[in-house]
Amino acid sequence: MLVALLAAALLQQIDSSPPTRPPRTIAIDERLAADRSIRLGDRLVVSGTSRGVGDTVVVSAFMRRQPDPSEVARAQYRVRMHLDQLQSLINYGDRVDRFAVATRDALTDTAIAAINAAAFGFRAHRSRDIVVETSRTFLVVSRFHRAIGVITIVASAIFLLCIMLLKVDERRRDVAALRLMGVSARSIVRSVMIEAALVAFIGSGAGVAIGWTAAQLINWHYRGVYRTPLAFAAVTPSIIALAVSLSVVLGLAAGFLAAQRLVRVPALELLTGRHEERVFAQPSS
Amino acid sequence: MNDAPVVSALDLQREYRMGGEIVHAVRGVTLDVMRGDYVAIVGPSGCGKSTLLNLLGGIDRPNAGTVSIDGARIDRMNDREATRFRLTRVGFVFQRFYLMPALTAIENIELPMAEAKVPSVQRVQRARELLAYVGLEVRRDHRPAQLSGGEQQRVAIARALANKPTLLLADEPTGELDARTGAEMIELLGQVNGDGTTIVVVTHDEELAKAAWRVVHMRDGVIVDDRRRAS
Amino acid sequence: MVLRLAWATLTRNRTRTLLAILGVAVSAAMLLDMVMLSSGMRASFKDLLLSRGFQFRLVLKGTLPFDTDATIADASDITRRLESLADVDAVSPVLGGQLHVDLGDRAIVAMALGGVAAAQGDYEVLDGRAPSSENELVASDAFFTATGKRLGDTLSAGAGYDPQLRLFSGRRVFTLVGRAHFLYLSEGQRAVALPLATLQAMQGERSHDRVSFFMLRARSGANGDSVRDRIAPAVPSLFVVSTEIAMRQVDERLSYFRQLAFILGSVSLAVGFLLVTTLVTVSVNERLGEIVVLRALGVARIRIVQQIVLEGSAIMIAGAIAGLGLGLLTARYLNSILASFPGLPASIDFFLFQPSDAWTALGLLVGAGVLAGIYPSWRGASQPIAPTLREEAVG
Repeated sequence: MLVALLAAALLQQIDSSPPTRPPRTIAIDERLAADRSIRLGDRLVVSGTSRGVGDTVVVSAFMRRQPDPSEVARAQYRVRMHLDQLQSLINYGDRVDRFAVATRDALTDTAIAAINAAAFGFRAHRSRDIVVETSRTFLVVSRFHRAIGVITIVASAIFLLCIMLLKVDERRRDVAALRLMGVSARSIVRSVMIEAALVAFIGSGAGVAIGWTAAQLINWHYRGVYRTPLAFAAVTPSIIALAVSLSVVLGLAAGFLAAQRLVRVPALELLTGRHEERVFAQPSS
Repeated sequence: MNDAPVVSALDLQREYRMGGEIVHAVRGVTLDVMRGDYVAIVGPSGCGKSTLLNLLGGIDRPNAGTVSIDGARIDRMNDREATRFRLTRVGFVFQRFYLMPALTAIENIELPMAEAKVPSVQRVQRARELLAYVGLEVRRDHRPAQLSGGEQQRVAIARALANKPTLLLADEPTGELDARTGAEMIELLGQVNGDGTTIVVVTHDEELAKAAWRVVHMRDGVIVDDRRRAS
Repeated sequence: MVLRLAWATLTRNRTRTLLAILGVAVSAAMLLDMVMLSSGMRASFKDLLLSRGFQFRLVLKGTLPFDTDATIADASDITRRLESLADVDAVSPVLGGQLHVDLGDRAIVAMALGGVAAAQGDYEVLDGRAPSSENELVASDAFFTATGKRLGDTLSAGAGYDPQLRLFSGRRVFTLVGRAHFLYLSEGQRAVALPLATLQAMQGERSHDRVSFFMLRARSGANGDSVRDRIAPAVPSLFVVSTEIAMRQVDERLSYFRQLAFILGSVSLAVGFLLVTTLVTVSVNERLGEIVVLRALGVARIRIVQQIVLEGSAIMIAGAIAGLGLGLLTARYLNSILASFPGLPASIDFFLFQPSDAWTALGLLVGAGVLAGIYPSWRGASQPIAPTLREEAVG
């Protein structure tokens, strides 16, 4: 937040008068550099308030945002500077917001316990736990996407069943002829299921290709809009496996249901369209 | 019967493509049908008799030649005009009945009248009369799947007569019926003709051909014989 | 007769028709949800902004309320200047901060809002009353739960906490006089509201006569643009955030959801369209014989097209109506997921049902249904009669 405050108050002034001491260096957000045409080596004046006296600094690096979902929609610029300089500019004294501590993996728990026992009034946490907490945005969005995905799967299953029913119905006369020839209902059901599975498999292959292309387009678009390296969509091998297997299973189920419905009807009725059990109550006139 | 022909076909030609070959279905047929006539067109399979019937009814257009019904040149009509003409002046009966399976017997008969914007009350009244005429009053609310072949064909005939057409065209009306039912159909058609409707049938059925007043023989797309039965 | 035929055809194959309606219903539900999502957030946020009648926020230039720790100096002078403007009904200065509550064995942190109880727009008192003296505060449910306190209890809290000396700066003892619903907080956030002067004093010299932002309410019937035009010159160092500007900021933040709504809505519509068009095509192919016979009997092509299009539209309409109920259910479920979106007020509904949304979704579906039926029906009705009869006889 303090860094953000500083960024908000950053003035783009190229200081032309020679400084009294060598200016210190600063790293700025690459978006800020692009938006304000700032280059490496440029001199800027930074201050803690909009009218306050500032320090002259030299841009020594550009930094890219982290792919953090919670930061995506924020347009704020960020800068990095030397700790003591920032403390001085914002009159923070000898204070910081947090420490980051690197430990050897096996000793992390011991270090956390020791810090929490020794320090006054602040606690040590694993970075992983902080990430979990700050990833809430991502988790919410992820849950939302999953819910949409489930709804889409349900819709697709119904759609698939409907299509299979239509396609199988279309061929009822062919099925009737086969049955009359002596082909068993089981063979017909098996044949329809194989066809349905093939269609589902090929369809899911096409779907994966479309999904992958869509993911590339989505990432290209949103990375441009939000100027972030964050990946918004990813088609992973596990997702592909899930999509294909789900499609094939649904396709088999749809094919089975549709075929079963057809073979339950007597062959002659399929052919003529007439219910075999009709009864003529009176003789023809 | 008055002197003006109801149907007048002059030098009709019809060819179509079938599997890469050109089939000359009708080759220069000239035919007049007088009002009240009962004409049977007979001939071997593929001789062009059904094609001729379609041309006479305006559901197919000739490649050459003219067709008039009651003086109206149907070969010159566009699709909309021909459709409208058929609705009010020509009745069709098909070998396969082609009743609407989702409608009841009476609704099938009402269908052409509804299209001709006949008011509902009149429509129902006439449909009932026609059902009684063909002897199927009790089957009024039955769907085609609940009717026998003969009964379906009777409904089809009633449907064809719905808008009191000038001309009734029947393509193999007994083709899917057994001998007994076929005989009943022949009798019914005779009755329809006796009540004043001009009929042209295409048939393989000798009995049906015998029932007609005039028999036209076709072979290879041309008329080879045209005889009127002695009254 | 067209209606009769269409109905008869649909009921002829009930399973198929019902399945198609179900498929359309799911698509319709999704479409309705997406329409609700695209407009709901905006409408909900706008309602929230105007819920207490404050149409304007005044903030430091380049910031939004609570975007930054920076504060505005000379708050009382600015308040007086704003109150003197014509058409200004109320000015609410707000200072944000943190309250560190001493619970003996532990301490918790809560968001603190310093304001003037008589003219505030940040909370609604649910129980008890607003703070009327300097050591009183109202708190959110989450705060009560975290502290284990009840109305009327006292607690010790400070504005700052010095970890070296283990001392709370600006420490005071407060009485909890009210339970409030804080309009702009995200779900589960701990918050308190206390008098502005108290919080300023607790925060020490750095907050003397300073606030985070102002909220301003115009008189009823006043022209918003002219009020804004009067404010800007009166306080040139501040940025006037009208409801429209705030909405634009929200649009930018939540543009992802609107775009997602558009994409998913389009896909749902396309799926529904595909389903109906497939159904109509197969249905037409099955009945080609019947269709050409109708033509032979003299039924006009347009009548046949009308009948078939009616069948497709009927499925769409039935599916849309079924989808309405389903859509409201799924919207509620999806809304509950997004309600825990960090950084956004819990009061915002992402999926807000407005009757116009239902009409929009229904209209889109009916339009799609009509379009879905047009091509296959026209194709079917345009088949040449004689050749088709010949093929049907052979088939």
